[in-house]
Amino acid sequence: MSLLSIRNLTLRFGRFTALDEVSLDLEAGEIVGIVGESGSGKTMTALASIGLLPDGARAKGEVLFDNNNLLGLDETALGALRGDDVGMVFQEPMTALNPVKTIGDQIAEGIIWHTKVSKKAAYEKAAEMLERVGLPPAQFPLDRYPHELSGGQRQRVVIAIACVLKPRLLIADEPTTALDVVLQAQILELLRGLVKERGMGLMLISHDLAVVASMADKIVILQNGKVVEAGPAKQVLRNMREPYTRQLAQASTYVPKRVSRPQGAPLLQVFNVSRDYALRRKSLFAKPGQFRAVDNVSLNINEGEMVALVGRSGCGKSTLARMILALHKPTSGIIKLGGVDINAASEAELRAARRNMQIVFQDPFGSFNPRKTVEWLVCEPLYLLDEKPTPDNARHLASQVLARVGLGDDVLDRYPHQFSGGQRQRIAIARALITNPKLIVADEPVSALDVSIRAQVLDVFAELNASLGLACLFITHDLHVARAITDRVLVMSAGKIVEHGKTSEVLDNPQSDAAKQLVAAAPDLAKVLAA
Amino acid sequence: MAAENGPETVLPNQVFLAQAIRNPAFMTGSIFILTIVLAGCVSLFWTPFDVSLIAISERLKSPSLMNWFGTDHFGRDILSMIMVGARNSIAVACIAVGIGLLIGVPLGCWSAARGGLIDDMIMRGNDVVFAFPALLSAVMITAIFGPGAINAIIAIGIFNIPVFARVARAGAVALWPRDFILAARASGKGRLQITLEHILPNIAHLLIVQGTIQFSLGILAEAGLSYLGLGAQPPAPSWGRMLAEAQTMVAIGPHTALFPGLTIVISVLGLNLMGDGLRDVLDPKLSRVK
Repeated sequence: MSLLSIRNLTLRFGRFTALDEVSLDLEAGEIVGIVGESGSGKTMTALASIGLLPDGARAKGEVLFDNNNLLGLDETALGALRGDDVGMVFQEPMTALNPVKTIGDQIAEGIIWHTKVSKKAAYEKAAEMLERVGLPPAQFPLDRYPHELSGGQRQRVVIAIACVLKPRLLIADEPTTALDVVLQAQILELLRGLVKERGMGLMLISHDLAVVASMADKIVILQNGKVVEAGPAKQVLRNMREPYTRQLAQASTYVPKRVSRPQGAPLLQVFNVSRDYALRRKSLFAKPGQFRAVDNVSLNINEGEMVALVGRSGCGKSTLARMILALHKPTSGIIKLGGVDINAASEAELRAARRNMQIVFQDPFGSFNPRKTVEWLVCEPLYLLDEKPTPDNARHLASQVLARVGLGDDVLDRYPHQFSGGQRQRIAIARALITNPKLIVADEPVSALDVSIRAQVLDVFAELNASLGLACLFITHDLHVARAITDRVLVMSAGKIVEHGKTSEVLDNPQSDAAKQLVAAAPDLAKVLAA
Repeated sequence: MAAENGPETVLPNQVFLAQAIRNPAFMTGSIFILTIVLAGCVSLFWTPFDVSLIAISERLKSPSLMNWFGTDHFGRDILSMIMVGARNSIAVACIAVGIGLLIGVPLGCWSAARGGLIDDMIMRGNDVVFAFPALLSAVMITAIFGPGAINAIIAIGIFNIPVFARVARAGAVALWPRDFILAARASGKGRLQITLEHILPNIAHLLIVQGTIQFSLGILAEAGLSYLGLGAQPPAPSWGRMLAEAQTMVAIGPHTALFPGLTIVISVLGLNLMGDGLRDVLDPKLSRVK
């Protein structure tokens, strides 16, 4: 008798079929990994398992939890189940917690609701649970607010809320996608420990095969709402019987073809750059403290060179990138692009420098003004040209750069929301290319994308490097991406560059603690399967 | 994955219209407002009776086929007076909202674009204006500069400035750290240009909704000032003064108070319904939750 058993679950929204005859079994103490790309129905499967299907969903089939069909239960019965027998961990720890309640209140809330114990008893339980998830109440008192915690700590609180009532089933929907690799490893370790200790069933949803391979006993691979393949995790991933499974695995370890280029002249030189931020004043009269986000960093990028900047979240990568792009001013130090000091440059010189460096952002949804057409958006950097092109010429230029990234003319008059994440990221690259820059700073350009789309976008970067000799500073916490596409890697930690060298050498044989930590935490499909 | 968590998707204009027509609140509100605006426009060329025509013999007549809304204590046709009064109300509210938009929005956008000391100064200045009760201060202004439609407009307009400044600043501050603004800055665009091209189109929906609400408050304020005798001066008809004059005659001719009162209620209700409907249509985050 399985703990959770989904039988031929079909889910429709109007004419759209979100899930098509999905079946899976989950035993107590077992981890089932559900893998698939965006829109494959992973989250819907999770929501069905906790009876939280959105309005307008028509479900057929059975979701048996402990032999009760959840699809037939009313809201009261489901409410008694949720949080008590079934816990849920969400992807985004920033939005999963209520910002105006203390963490103690949020953990105790469920205890009081389900077990009707006194507030004091609930707080004691909450404190115990926080201790278990690695936030000892001595350092993290119950009256902390979510904004006083980091992303990883918040995810621990979310897990504490989900697990405090000792649920028999825990559903984790991309629990580590918003975290860096080191935190990811810690959170996965915590989940694994809780499952073992309590004999819970864990449904782990992820787009990352390596994560699932290292955690799950069983794996279910979903595509467009259908189960493509299911079975013991290692066996499925070793045999790769289905073409789609193979495709996913290949895409997640994809290495684009690169042409090695002769080293060009120095393009970007950064000398001893630091950046301080003022902290909040402790009292009205105290001087505000300083936080050094970037600490005495020096680096060089030559023309046509692909350089990775890797590090954990909050290590100062993005601040450094923004200073290089002259969007933030450094507190001290010099940044030269093609020999021109961009902080001392005149307006005209700075425009010339800006033409030579452009940016691609992480979030393909936030990087466009939603109210402008693609043509307008792609042409925006043309503002930097001294001689503005005529509208016809601008349109022509736009269609040329869009063609470079594999998009047709038909996209010019459409709006950003009409495109998928991968297409938008191509449009973002096209926008960066339109002024013929020598350097593109890409801030986590593929970490929000599905693995197969990630492979395509990496291809675009590799091709641009090969054909245009474009230099690129790739900011990432994903070592696969760094390894796949860059010649050199810089490892950053707490505002400093702690290690640099050839990508393969640094990643195969890291010297600094920060680099060692990153390499050890990075999930690696090949290693997991070899073990 | 995070595919669904993007920023609010924007509706092209046609989709917007189609949605607006399907929104019952917006449609009801617009019908009310269109009727009143139309009545005001028609009164420019034609009214059932001349509003300056005093016929004591016809005074305080109940509604009939001849005088749909009856006549007042001077024998003037109430329907005609409401039609002419609509012009006054609409003009005052329009210009007052215009003053608020034209001064408040640039202030708010400037505040958000510069930040720091300028931001603090502008917003604290706003707080000072906010600290005065609007209608009371309008009474004060008209008391100093004399009653009349122009002074009423200015008084109401001044108190619209901080409202729009706050709304514009709140919207703009949330946009400035977004990636697409950084991309615009990487394209060398200055603060003014970014505000015009990126900020304004993305806060327009906030301003439209706030505009309809301020418009209804403007009508109400104008009626209040005229009621106190500080708005449009006789013989120009205005809804507020019609109410004030009817006050002594409610017992004999209740219709003299009923119809101007109803008109004020309907126009304020209509504008609020329109504002609610527009907010639902323009902000998909709210309308999706039903």
